[in-house]
Amino acid sequence: MATTTATITLASTDLLSDELSLTTSATLTGAGNATGITGTAGLARKTVAGGHAQYTLFDGNDYDADKAHKLYLKNLSTTATEYFLITVNAEDVGRLYAGDWALIPWSAHDADNDIKIDPSANDMTLEYMLFVD
Amino acid sequence: MATTATITLTSADIAGDPVNVSKTATCTKAGATTDLDQTTGLNRVHLRNATNKVLLAANAEGNDLAAKVYIINKSTDPSLYLTITINAQTVGKLYGGDWMFFPWSQTDTSANIEVAATNWTSSTGDIPVEYALFHEDTDFLTNA
Repeated sequence: MATTTATITLASTDLLSDELSLTTSATLTGAGNATGITGTAGLARKTVAGGHAQYTLFDGNDYDADKAHKLYLKNLSTTATEYFLITVNAEDVGRLYAGDWALIPWSAHDADNDIKIDPSANDMTLEYMLFVD
Repeated sequence: MATTATITLTSADIAGDPVNVSKTATCTKAGATTDLDQTTGLNRVHLRNATNKVLLAANAEGNDLAAKVYIINKSTDPSLYLTITINAQTVGKLYGGDWMFFPWSQTDTSANIEVAATNWTSSTGDIPVEYALFHEDTDFLTNA
């Protein structure tokens, strides 16, 4: 059993008239239990070259269904207009703009539950890490 | 009006070398360096239903913008989970204590974010859920 911790801090001194300061941590555990997730695909990078077509980052067929996988994504671009459109199966989740990151639970509930990325420009690089249940 | 989101991922033993990732993003408007200036604030609901409930309703004016969503399952029971869906597409399961932070482009008005306390029963107790939306669409006045 491994111990992996994901912590988020959301902070702003001026979005509201009171300061926003939220920090919470989660220990990444298996589906329905308190056992630490033991698998990872490691921190990786994918540069989607010419044509900026949609690319399948993770195939739902390759992972056990209905688990507590967690996916970290970060757009390494520094050009504000550049984004990766993140899609699960055929449903758009959102646009990850330059510098943005996301942490998403992924249940890989069926073979169609692929994670796909579609960059808005050529030669954009995504950094990602999958924690596998 | 800068709002920052920082993630830290750490593990000393999930791999042969330690994992230590720490990144901060400033939440900005779509395609710009201007800060997001709208938020729903931190909301809390207690789910006691195994069927899907709309947590955040998609709005046409929010289409393809740079909204960010934070959701946490505040249950202390690791077996109790939320099923997170967007327009009926299951994204994943958020178990007790888990959180998620992700962009939401509201691609169409069907792209609601829904949650279900899938394995809730009258004997498990409620599943408390906290969530916040950071966005730029000034027409987004209420959730469902």
